[in-house]
Amino acid sequence: MSKILEANPNTEVLEGARSSFSIKKILYNKYVLYVISICLFLIVLDLFAVLQVFGNFMPRPIEVLTTLINMTVTPLAGKTLPMHLWASLRRVLIAFAIAVFIGVPVGVLMGFSSVANAIISPIFHLFKPMPPIAWISLAILWLGIGEASKVFIIVIGAIVPCILNSYNGIRLVDESLKDALRMLGGNRRQEIIEVIFPASFPAIFAGLQISLSMAWTTVLAAELVGAREGMGFIIVMGMNLSKPSMIIAGMIVIALTAFMISMAVNYLERWVCPWKTELETTE
Amino acid sequence: MENRIGNDGIKNVIECKGISKYFGEGANKKEVLSTMDLSVKENEFVVILGPGQSGKSTLFRMIAGLEKPSTGHIYVNGKEVTGPNPVIGYVFQRYTLFPWKTVMENVEMGPKLKGVGKKERREKAQYFINLVGLNGFEDAYPHQLSGGMKQRVGIARAYANDPEIMLLDEPFGQLDAQTRILMEQEILRIWEKEKRTVCFVTNNIDEAIFLGDRIVMLEGKLPSKMKKIYNVDLPRPRDFTDLAFLELREEITGETELAL
Amino acid sequence: MGENKKNMFLKVLSVVSIVALFLGWQLVVDFGIVPNTLLASPKQVIEMFIYKISNANPDGAVLWVHVMTSLQEALTGYLLALVIGIPLGLAMGWFVVVEGLARPIFEMIRPIPPVAWIPLAIFWFGIGLAGKVFIIWASGLVPCVINSFVGVKMTNPVFIKMAKTYGATDWEIFKDICIPSALPMVFGGLQVALAASWTALVAAELIAADTGLGFLITMGRRLLKPDMIILGMMMVGLTGVIIGIIIDKIEKRLVAGVNK
Repeated sequence: MSKILEANPNTEVLEGARSSFSIKKILYNKYVLYVISICLFLIVLDLFAVLQVFGNFMPRPIEVLTTLINMTVTPLAGKTLPMHLWASLRRVLIAFAIAVFIGVPVGVLMGFSSVANAIISPIFHLFKPMPPIAWISLAILWLGIGEASKVFIIVIGAIVPCILNSYNGIRLVDESLKDALRMLGGNRRQEIIEVIFPASFPAIFAGLQISLSMAWTTVLAAELVGAREGMGFIIVMGMNLSKPSMIIAGMIVIALTAFMISMAVNYLERWVCPWKTELETTE
Repeated sequence: MENRIGNDGIKNVIECKGISKYFGEGANKKEVLSTMDLSVKENEFVVILGPGQSGKSTLFRMIAGLEKPSTGHIYVNGKEVTGPNPVIGYVFQRYTLFPWKTVMENVEMGPKLKGVGKKERREKAQYFINLVGLNGFEDAYPHQLSGGMKQRVGIARAYANDPEIMLLDEPFGQLDAQTRILMEQEILRIWEKEKRTVCFVTNNIDEAIFLGDRIVMLEGKLPSKMKKIYNVDLPRPRDFTDLAFLELREEITGETELAL
Repeated sequence: MGENKKNMFLKVLSVVSIVALFLGWQLVVDFGIVPNTLLASPKQVIEMFIYKISNANPDGAVLWVHVMTSLQEALTGYLLALVIGIPLGLAMGWFVVVEGLARPIFEMIRPIPPVAWIPLAIFWFGIGLAGKVFIIWASGLVPCVINSFVGVKMTNPVFIKMAKTYGATDWEIFKDICIPSALPMVFGGLQVALAASWTALVAAELIAADTGLGFLITMGRRLLKPDMIILGMMMVGLTGVIIGIIIDKIEKRLVAGVNK
């Protein structure tokens, strides 16, 4: 490890001499570097924590790990970590379902009807620049501090990509595909079913993907402002109790969840539209 | 002009009378096609030859009913064209297969839209898939196919809809030279087997002579006009190195600005 | 002509739609359909706006101070994100060593939603400028790095090969080919980063602050003054739009400069 540590500060300078030494060759391998990088990162963190470079502000990585395990089994505010995670996920799922249920039809309607678009889009663009979290005060005022206000602002955040992508998906369907169907004798109804819906599906799906990650961000924001359960609640508790290990453990779970959600959605996409690669490669 | 072949009693399936097309209005007005007359006889193979951007596609789109001529009238089977008509099968330059459908589902689309039962339309589609030599690829998606194969699907899809007239709009424009020659032979083979009236757009002189009964040459500049019509009386299959072929090629090339 | 008429109609419809929204909103409050404790009318919001221009009460600062505080925090963090993120992303795209060392750490940070940094930032730096700047920096950094990285990776390999045959060094290729060709992607990242930063800032101010637009919104709730809440929300939206426009202008000018 010490050898690697020595070699590292010079790496920039060595750029020109890529192929001269075999040890350097190994060091230049991406995957070797990945491992070195992570090890270094953890070691530096640990050193900083042990030497108290930032006082007590930085926990040791091992401490974070024990906190993580601890929280998984010992309840915090009456709930274990998985239960808090579920509390957040449940809010996300409810709000996401509502957002999709309203947003996609509205976007589709706007895509089909220029009249509907002329009425809805100015209002939509008026509200869009306000970050969903800015609604929190109004939401609390209207719906109280409980579940409803949280779900409300998550819906606000999640509905924007649903509307936008459905609208553009429908509007930007390749005209030549419509022509092809018309030449085969398709009427307007068949054109909608056989071409417009399937052709706009990838764009709408991408909207759902963005919407879901928006929902995950917004739920945290909502929980930071006021909640008794959920992942946002955990990291705020960590802050209030001055327990950085708890904040970071919470952040790890949050990041992992975000990562897993996006993996799952990607997988789902490949499963529901196996033909999508076509759209990425042509033109 | 349409009487050049002579009055042999065969009916005209397509008749364009004094058609022109412009886009935009006022200062932005751009004329693409200026007064043109054209008729195509039953079971004839007509090639429209012209350089890129000479309004060939516009002409086809008007015959197909996808666009309206600015002036003049187009008649298909004696009836004026008012909108897309499945009597015409259209093969597009950019393939325009439905990417979310397999080869089989693409080809059976026409019959399906007509409400033909699944078994019957599958059989029909299978026949044309076999005809274009794609048996074994029924369940493939378009993105898994090469350019030549995609265009075969496009041709099969058009034929499976039982059109009386086929419009092929630079169908091989995006293929490499090798595949192109192969596809040209293929299209003739299919045409011999499934006699239809065929109109074929190309910018390739060899392709035009190899395929056409008649070559309609367009002016190279916009607005595009009809320049000359050649009758190709060579027997099929034609040979690119045949003397008569080369003479005709020479003649057409001489007429084209492209040759400069 | 018909087309123009329709466009005119749609424009009018859009205006009517907005007017109806504000009118409806005003009436709903005026007639007490929604109690004034829950919603302020547009008129009240405007009155609040005028009042807050010169009055520090009841939240301790005039509107201008709130806007400037938020702007200062946002711009400082944002610029820091650009200064660090763009060079890092560019270097990650070209130098294997930088990519190898920085990428795993970056990939760990990437899925963390910006708002999740808030507690840690407040814990580390307190509720003042430093904490906010850190949050903005963390949320703006990710898009900056990703877009610069992808921008370099997407450089046309033909250019790189060509430069190599002319004997350009690694550094020269990076400087003269990769960076210019990555610029459009980098600029795309700026807008994304801005949106992410602005949202995170508002969230941070809602949770812990003594001035700023987010704080104004929170105070509005504590004092049960919906006019103040809505004023705060509108100022957040408006400021966000204005910064977005300014960045867009700068971006266009820079891109034009690069293209020359």
